Amino acid sequence: MADFIKNPVVGLPDRKPEPVIPADQLHFSEAEKTQIQTWISQYPSADGAVMRALWLAQEKFGFLPPEVIQLVADELGIPYTNAYGVATFYTQYFKEKKGTYVLDVCTCFSCQLCGGFDMLHYLEEKLGVHKGETTDDGVFTVQEAECLGACGSAPMLQITNGAYVHNLTKEKIDALVDALREDKMPAFTSVTLPQDEDEMGGNRRTDVESTETYQAGPVSETTR
Amino acid sequence: MSKAGDWRNYKRVLLPPVKDLHKLDVYEANDGYSALREILTTDKWNPTSVTDEVKKSGLKGRGGAGFPTGLKWSFMPPVDPDVPRYLCCNGDESEPGTFKDRQLLEYNPHSVFEGMLIASYAMSIKTGFLYIRGEFADWITHMEAELEKAYEKGYVGKNIMGSDFSCDIVIHKGAGAYICGEESSLMNSLEGKRAYPRIKPPFPAQKGVWGYPTTINNVETPACAPLIIRNGGDWYAGIGAEAHPGPVLYGISGHVNRPGVYEYPTGMLITDLVNEVAGGMRGGKKLKAIVPGGSSTPVLRADMIDGVTMDADSLREAGSMMGTSGMLIMDEDTDMVSFLRRITHFYHHESCGQCTPCREGTGWLENILTRIDEGEGNLRDLDLLMDLCSQMEGRTVCALADAAAWPVRYTIDRFRDEFEAKCKPSLVASGVDLATA
Repeated sequence: MADFIKNPVVGLPDRKPEPVIPADQLHFSEAEKTQIQTWISQYPSADGAVMRALWLAQEKFGFLPPEVIQLVADELGIPYTNAYGVATFYTQYFKEKKGTYVLDVCTCFSCQLCGGFDMLHYLEEKLGVHKGETTDDGVFTVQEAECLGACGSAPMLQITNGAYVHNLTKEKIDALVDALREDKMPAFTSVTLPQDEDEMGGNRRTDVESTETYQAGPVSETTR
Repeated sequence: MSKAGDWRNYKRVLLPPVKDLHKLDVYEANDGYSALREILTTDKWNPTSVTDEVKKSGLKGRGGAGFPTGLKWSFMPPVDPDVPRYLCCNGDESEPGTFKDRQLLEYNPHSVFEGMLIASYAMSIKTGFLYIRGEFADWITHMEAELEKAYEKGYVGKNIMGSDFSCDIVIHKGAGAYICGEESSLMNSLEGKRAYPRIKPPFPAQKGVWGYPTTINNVETPACAPLIIRNGGDWYAGIGAEAHPGPVLYGISGHVNRPGVYEYPTGMLITDLVNEVAGGMRGGKKLKAIVPGGSSTPVLRADMIDGVTMDADSLREAGSMMGTSGMLIMDEDTDMVSFLRRITHFYHHESCGQCTPCREGTGWLENILTRIDEGEGNLRDLDLLMDLCSQMEGRTVCALADAAAWPVRYTIDRFRDEFEAKCKPSLVASGVDLATA
């Protein structure tokens, strides 16, 4: 029996494929290690910090191949399987290499009824990819996202798990793609409450560069 | 009849019209942390009296289920100094159609912190976790900066305001999973596990995060606590509908002229919200349907909303639920079949995969609705969908299967003719010409 396990008749797939991150880069800096230790101290056990540590690793390495997950697990002192289970459960952790900018276009619920699919299809045509694919130059990945919690300013998209772009139009997508090609990330945009417009004459925050208002969505051409 | 009283002259309290209220000094200048100070420095308050005041206010959870908050707080077991207890604040706002928490976290983060501290005091808790969905990365950065300032001022941390009460707040960043909004899977997610919901009982108050007593509230719920302490439970109970009082953040989206987050009392007439608050229907179209509280609450036809107000009782009578008060308004051109198809796609994508009825059921809901939407469906597919819904409801660990089944059940029930119109005529095979057959 043991012999069968050691010498299987059919070759078993490698549990861990060839590493893609070179071994000399595969480590956390001292500052990052300190940061992870701070997170660990906030929870009753080290497991609690795994999501934060995976976020840190993803920002550093771009995505989470098995060797990076192993690195996180070792840093936290938890089993690899636990960290792998978490990394594969959540949609925002990238398990494969994505473009420099991941454009998550929301098409769910309110966005569907306010032109979300029009924006997704326009972006797909503009960049010549289908949803889920990366452009040949490796700059953009287009994805269809589930509700991103900005239903009043539909249609909208999110750039690489970060900035929101509200009230999308085709012109706005053109400008955004051009800006991102020059590595210009849009500034954080604060969306003004309609009641603030009436009572305070605009956005209540004085410390943001960019503000927008909630706008009635365009009439959608397609809803699928 | 509107139960919101003179709502046109309503003065906002959750998001009062104050410039830069998100900054600590501005928040302080507007009675910020005064409720916490009163609790910690005067003899009037002890944990029981705080809980009683919240009970008296009639505050109900704002996360969807609408459970009385004071009652929930009183479920915590008696204090045992050797057993840690935790507060979790649920900012994993992912219910489609809901976008109020994001505005609250951005414009009034300190009210959430202060509310969490008051809740922690009432339940003798020393650590509060604020779980915010990973998509809100920018907002998490802002909140961490504000939390840092609150720590420096001594509002959070050890011996708050010189009292013997200490409490830490930890902001936990999610990573994109709708299921984390379910309280038990939120706990698993906090613990660094896959976010599978847990079987209840044991309830979180007995066995929560890391097996210790835990209370979980939506972020809007503790944000009401400082208001209740400052102005009294009776004041709060007098706002809006009697059985479901308080200010509510209504998130209105869809085919209206002026979508957005609005703060008004509970018990607003839906017709007032659509026609006056949100500026009426886009392009002067006719109202077709409305989803009152996020995608999982049953859809209401335009002829079902006369006199219906936004509070738990009125909506239950009308055949829906208050949910998260994220309202989606649909005009007459909306295709209900593809609308429902997209909702089922959402639930299929977000099902965690733990229970078979949900993991498989949500997939089949989507498959069958896609078939109908593409014009390939049969009339009996509608009955099949209903049967599938009955096999999902109440047969899983958490309520996601129910949340996926309800929109299907009620949308088909209430718009059956549209679904039938998209189906192929019954008992006739495709491609057969009736005239010659």
